[in-house]
Amino acid sequence: MAQYNTISLKKEVMIISTYTQSQVYTQASFRALIDALLPSSYEQYNYESTNNMEVHEYIMYSLDHDISIQQPLHHTIVPLSYPTAKMLDIAATQLMNTYQAQPYPHSLFPGGGMFSCLSRRDRIRTLSALENLNIDLYVLPSPFQNNAGLVKNVTDALNRFSMLGYYSEWPAYGSTRLRPPSERRLEFFPMNWQRVGYPGVSYGYRDFRGFLLRMNRSEGKYENES
Amino acid sequence: MKTNPDVIVIGAGGGGPVIAKELGELGIRVQVLEAGPWYGNKNWLEPNMNRGLAKESSNPEDLDGTLYRNQLTRLEQDMNDPVTGKFRWGTADRRRTPWFRNVPDPAMVWQTAGIGGSTLHYYANCPRAFPSAIDNEWPIHYKDLIPYYEKVEATLPVEFAPTTSKEALFYYGAEKAGFSINRTLDVTKNGYRPQPNAILPPNKHLMDPNYSLEQLSHMEGCTLSGHCGQGCPYGPKLDKMAKRTTAVSYVPLAMKTGNVTFRPNTFVTKVLTERNANGKECAIGVKIRDTWTGEVEELYAKVVVMAAGCVETPRLWLNSELPYNAWVGRGLTNHYMDTVTGTFDEQTLMKILGSPTVHPFVGHTSAARLDYPGLGMIENMGESPGLTAQLLFGFSQYGYNSLQEQSSDIWDQRGRLVGAELDEAMKDYSRTLTLLIVTDDEVQYHNRVELDPHIKDEHGAVPIVHYTPSKKSKERREQLVHIGTDMLRKAGAKKVHRADLPPNLFIHLQSTMRMGFVVDTSCEAYQVDRLFIADNSVDYNSLGGPNPTLTTQALATRTAELLAKKYF
Repeated sequence: MAQYNTISLKKEVMIISTYTQSQVYTQASFRALIDALLPSSYEQYNYESTNNMEVHEYIMYSLDHDISIQQPLHHTIVPLSYPTAKMLDIAATQLMNTYQAQPYPHSLFPGGGMFSCLSRRDRIRTLSALENLNIDLYVLPSPFQNNAGLVKNVTDALNRFSMLGYYSEWPAYGSTRLRPPSERRLEFFPMNWQRVGYPGVSYGYRDFRGFLLRMNRSEGKYENES
Repeated sequence: MKTNPDVIVIGAGGGGPVIAKELGELGIRVQVLEAGPWYGNKNWLEPNMNRGLAKESSNPEDLDGTLYRNQLTRLEQDMNDPVTGKFRWGTADRRRTPWFRNVPDPAMVWQTAGIGGSTLHYYANCPRAFPSAIDNEWPIHYKDLIPYYEKVEATLPVEFAPTTSKEALFYYGAEKAGFSINRTLDVTKNGYRPQPNAILPPNKHLMDPNYSLEQLSHMEGCTLSGHCGQGCPYGPKLDKMAKRTTAVSYVPLAMKTGNVTFRPNTFVTKVLTERNANGKECAIGVKIRDTWTGEVEELYAKVVVMAAGCVETPRLWLNSELPYNAWVGRGLTNHYMDTVTGTFDEQTLMKILGSPTVHPFVGHTSAARLDYPGLGMIENMGESPGLTAQLLFGFSQYGYNSLQEQSSDIWDQRGRLVGAELDEAMKDYSRTLTLLIVTDDEVQYHNRVELDPHIKDEHGAVPIVHYTPSKKSKERREQLVHIGTDMLRKAGAKKVHRADLPPNLFIHLQSTMRMGFVVDTSCEAYQVDRLFIADNSVDYNSLGGPNPTLTTQALATRTAELLAKKYF
């Protein structure tokens, strides 16, 4: 298991070096997000490398592959990860300006904005403010600007995506996790399945304790018996 | 099909294949058009990678259980991911986005495109409607439905679910809370019972260690693997798979009639009509778009049946500019759901079950129910960890448990869990029992599917979905949540968590094209001749709470009979 992680980590270091500034910013914002929502991997597994299983990448992938629309001449994907990171920062700034959040003087996630300068609890408060629309929607970036429905919908999805990414088999796709879905291969047993006691794909279980009721079909009629 | 079919059916989900099979048996030639992929058919060896070797398939020899098993990996993210999963509302090509629905609220629309539709992921629960929700409400009587219920129950087939640990705990809690067993299919009073499920009973050798579980997974019968939601491809061949999605039940039966062709990867964008002699509109065919190539075609038939589901059927009506009807898309119900989860300690479980764990992932995903006419129902639910975490602990209208200052003496925790409290809740996963609260949801005109005036996808204006529960639905849900909590406490749960799910969770969508408003009692549109509907949208109401699929399949069986009598 440890061996796989080392391999995937090395690959990642190579990939990171080619990231643009906005990608670094988006990555840092979503690292800050999952750090607030998900259990701390560091404490759980006693090694730093998993860093919440890189679930921020899963959320970014999901947000960037969730919506496409038809324009007059072409079909366009509407990538949401960058504007969502911006939205988190604008909401965090509004919380700070109204003394509802106390930022640290520097980002806890290098390259991140205001959201990543907040404590975990203040980051959760920021999400709460967004889903309750306790922020000025006019200053949000497109497509969130004045779009209350989308703000609520996407803010909620951040929670669900985090949990599905973290507790499903996704982290165990290892070095193939960001490939198109059909090219992903499981490289090890999902660590969180082990942690929660889920045996994974199963042929079956010998836990048959009988029937409380049976349907008896005779001459097209039904009789119920115990 | 080389010549025009007699009937075109739009959608191969819970209803479409049923009406196709019934019509096929009467010698009527049917073409079923499905927007999503086909798993388990030799013409599509890599259904998510390319458009395959054929456009359509009608030969039962094309069906392949081994292929189905390889494609349905039983992995929750691979199968159920709402964005990239094999079971999603989107095109076969998973590199592309899902099809957009505008739900301007926290929302999950749990629907699947593909041969089998949402029955690919459904838990195969097949209760009949509550008679009290049909009689004196619907324009037809409960007794009119009984022969059709019986026919579908025998065909799928339906059997009461076996008991595993989580059901034993459910029944124990229900007894302790003062309920007794209800030995019936026609529910007129409250009580608990096993779910009538479209899942083949366990193989008689399941508990015999001389048979390996792998061997058993290739034999007939449920292995209690718990993979209902991921499709469960266990069985000796495709049409004998344990979980009876229509992809393995009605689709093969329809093909065996020799009169039915299924065409996947085909999105219907318009119902074509003309005016008949008396000036009334009459369906004559459909306009389609190939989801792989973008090619557009028109197909013609004597009768068109819409079975595209509660969102797409009204969307298609509106995008086709069929005659105005104030109730098209209106009256949406969704059983306004919630969950309560009890965590038990090992000693309590040892006493009740003789084992220190519940293992919620074992057995039918939902196998025990408490019916409560007047309020709705409660069923148990044991999903895999990722789906469990997102639904129970990541989705709530209450917000974050840790931000709430008031504490409740009814629930230990309520709403979303984060960080260490999430970790703790999931560490207890093996010792939990989750109850899904399913409300008898009141029809309201303002709950609706309509067209987005600004956003289009490749198939036309996208649907907007609006839903807020009525005061009565809220009160009923609250009562059921208290009953469920009481069951868990009486069973000995040490901790109870309530999700307090948001209203826009769409699993049981119903009643957007209601009988008596949009369609008549034979499910033919009042305003368009030769246009029928065979999905949940025709339901007059939410059936009192029971899961809707069996009623849709019974109605589709009945509609086939009435349609054939009138037009063939």
